[in-house]
Amino acid sequence: MRKLSITTCMLMAVVFFVSCKKDKVAVVATVTSKTVSSLPADTIVGVSNGQPVGTGKFSFFSIESNSSIASVDSNSKKWDIGLRGTTIITNAGTSGPGSGGAFVYTGTFDELKTISADSTFRTDNAPTSYAIPLGSNKGWYVLDFVTNLLSPIPGRVLVIRTANGKYAKVEILNYYKGGTTPAANATDAEKSSKQRYYTFRFTYQSNGSKSF
Amino acid sequence: MRHSIFIIFLLISSSLTAQVNVDSSSSKQLDEVIVTATRSPRLLANVSIPASVISAKTIYQSGSLRLNDILSEQSGIVITDNFGKGIQLQGLSSDYTLILLNGEPLIGRTGGVFDLSRIAIRGIKKIEIIKGPSSSLYGSEAMGGVINIITDQSGSRKTDLALRYGSFNTVDASIDIARKIKKTELQFFSNYNRSEGYSLKPNALQKTVEPFWRSTQQVTVSQPLGSKWKLSLLARHNNTFINNTIAVQNGGNTIVSKGFEKSNEYNLNPSLQFKINQKISSSLRGYVTGFKAIQELKIKDAFGSYDDQFSQMYKRIENQTDWQIRDQSSFIFGAGYVSESVESNRYDDLSTKRKNAIAYLFFQHEEQLSKNLTFIGGMRYDDNEVYASVVSPKAAFQYKISDKISFSLSYGKGFKAPDFRQLFLNFTNLAAGSYSVFGTDVARAEIKKLSDANLIDQTTAAFNNVSILKPEISGGLNAGMKMKTLNGIDVNINFFRNDISNMIVTDIVAYKKSGGQIFSYFNLKNARTQGVEIEAGKKILNTISLKAGFQYLNTADKEVLKAIKAGTVFERSLETGSSSRMKTSGYGGLPNRSKFSANAKATYDNNKGFFTTFRIFYRGRWGTNDLDGNGLINRADEYAKGNIQVNASLGYKLGERWDVMAGVDNIFDYKDIQNLPGNPGRVGYATLQIHL
Repeated sequence: MRKLSITTCMLMAVVFFVSCKKDKVAVVATVTSKTVSSLPADTIVGVSNGQPVGTGKFSFFSIESNSSIASVDSNSKKWDIGLRGTTIITNAGTSGPGSGGAFVYTGTFDELKTISADSTFRTDNAPTSYAIPLGSNKGWYVLDFVTNLLSPIPGRVLVIRTANGKYAKVEILNYYKGGTTPAANATDAEKSSKQRYYTFRFTYQSNGSKSF
Repeated sequence: MRHSIFIIFLLISSSLTAQVNVDSSSSKQLDEVIVTATRSPRLLANVSIPASVISAKTIYQSGSLRLNDILSEQSGIVITDNFGKGIQLQGLSSDYTLILLNGEPLIGRTGGVFDLSRIAIRGIKKIEIIKGPSSSLYGSEAMGGVINIITDQSGSRKTDLALRYGSFNTVDASIDIARKIKKTELQFFSNYNRSEGYSLKPNALQKTVEPFWRSTQQVTVSQPLGSKWKLSLLARHNNTFINNTIAVQNGGNTIVSKGFEKSNEYNLNPSLQFKINQKISSSLRGYVTGFKAIQELKIKDAFGSYDDQFSQMYKRIENQTDWQIRDQSSFIFGAGYVSESVESNRYDDLSTKRKNAIAYLFFQHEEQLSKNLTFIGGMRYDDNEVYASVVSPKAAFQYKISDKISFSLSYGKGFKAPDFRQLFLNFTNLAAGSYSVFGTDVARAEIKKLSDANLIDQTTAAFNNVSILKPEISGGLNAGMKMKTLNGIDVNINFFRNDISNMIVTDIVAYKKSGGQIFSYFNLKNARTQGVEIEAGKKILNTISLKAGFQYLNTADKEVLKAIKAGTVFERSLETGSSSRMKTSGYGGLPNRSKFSANAKATYDNNKGFFTTFRIFYRGRWGTNDLDGNGLINRADEYAKGNIQVNASLGYKLGERWDVMAGVDNIFDYKDIQNLPGNPGRVGYATLQIHL
């Protein structure tokens, strides 16, 4: 009986501490992450010279409003990132009229709490260089030459400066329709038709600070 | 019966303490003789390094035809299926295992893999297996171990014909003749093996395994010259032919090409043995072997064709002298010279011959230090024309507590010379993104050629490091115990650790303007394999033999391990899709390695002509390919499923002359199309044998 009462006391203590902790967290949290699923990015429409091709148009997305932007607005500050195949552009430099930019951070999404003051945001200078470098194992993805499947490199976060000069962090989660990578032995047709669908999560800091 | 079930249970659980009073005869295995371990005949029980012997009887009763069949049934050995049937020993891949025929190396590897299915194992006397490095005796490639196929040269009179028929129209026919004419011992062996192949995917354009045939002819002669000299000769010829149908998807179109793949191999091994006196004997061995492989493919309705030719030649002369100094002390020393050459259109036009020459010296001293303690130490020096020279030492101890328990400890260095491919390859794959691979000896010149033609976009930092390759080096430690329990169970336990450095891997040296990558070879990787192997066996009433084996294997790329510990490696969760820092516990090690493997075998042989065997094999899951973008094996979906396969056979002797046997392999029809294309599922066969 005595044993039981000690256990009860300990349990109560635990409950007490846990509830305290929860209260504290609630005060701090101001930004939350959002997830975008299967956003098509110039999906495959045919074959040209033996290579599967799309229409060549970017799919624009506004991080600030969490919505897709029509391609007629490509020359505006309405969009923050543009996706076409494996190419990701930001609204600045040769890509757009905004004051955007980006760099690739190595680490996890949750670990990135503050963009350090000495970070340099790069801008697009097509076709020679992009803020988010193109190519397998250079920027955000790696292509397996054996299975011909693409995987976002784990531990890479795209730190984005929006068209209006605010900050966001983006993690690409998957490149295939439905957010699921086809099996290694899937047909070429399946691998081709399901690719170029981005699933990603992002956190946008609307107050202009570099903290998330 | 109840007893035997109990024993099986004991063996599998490796329990050594139980007392079961069953009448048993002493295990035959301990009386077996092995040559490969020390380059001289020794009782298996007295060998201080991990070694085992597979007898001709075991091979016959298991229904094995090719070398890979029987090796796949041994503890601690995994047969891999890439560029043919390769061996994996103590977690080291086929590149690092030396295959010998009567002590002479067999050549002809593709992508580093020696295809074990080239070797017919009917008509041989036994197979000896040495685990851990033995480069101190055998030089290059004897890093993970040595497999030595020993032919029957007893000359005991026989004329045996065997015919086997099995699934997929597989036919295997052999003739085995031996005669002793006066003092000359003659042996002739011929084998023909064919199969229709099989398809794992219905309606596929190409079969998983295409139709093939293979044939082997072998003659051995030995002739004593007086009382002190003996001359012997082995001549062998081996042929393989495989149909090729390859269907490639290119932009929605299917391109079918047809052709064949064939190989031609010969071996000639004259040797002269000289017994100077009771204590000193010497042998002079000559060896010439050639291997030629051709692949020709023609694309249907097109003029283009693919032609691949590879021709390798290996010549060796070697002397070995054995000196029995005292009863407790013996000494072996030897020297040899090897000349190797390769011609291939993978490297150059066929008129250019690539060559290497190796001169080597070796010695080994064996000393019984006390009644219980034996020491063996040895060393070999290999001097090469093309790459750096290597010294390979080895030391081993065996301590016998009693005739029931002994401990052994050995340490040896192993090495593998860079092969011709790593030095001279000049390969461009136009189909897959026009990437190129250049051997280190030709890389700079080839890249300069491309650069002069204005085809190079940029070279990488690695380009500046292209230099002469060093041999890959390993250090192998083995610590074992052999014991016979009170209830007559033979138990072998061996702990092993191999540290491999200077491993040769490819790295990008330049990018072409077309976007294609150019690779060359570098001594970059350091890896380790470690684990334990346990074997237990028991004979009951001289008719039932029970054996069980188990291996635990842990492998790692050391650089990767360091990076994981430093927290710079990430992985992506299959459930949430988000990434996190990887922990060492999540690292699956080198691909294609199973952490756990096990087997259990039961044989009943009434010694009057009837036998039956029942064998179970388990291979735990193994890493296949990366799916989360970190290039490592870490996530559950990056493994192939573990599996169990069961084989059984039975045979009966019909009078003096006839033997019949039949068997089923993979009784429960386990298949894995993606990861085990070389496994056709359930296979049945029947063999008829006549002794004339």
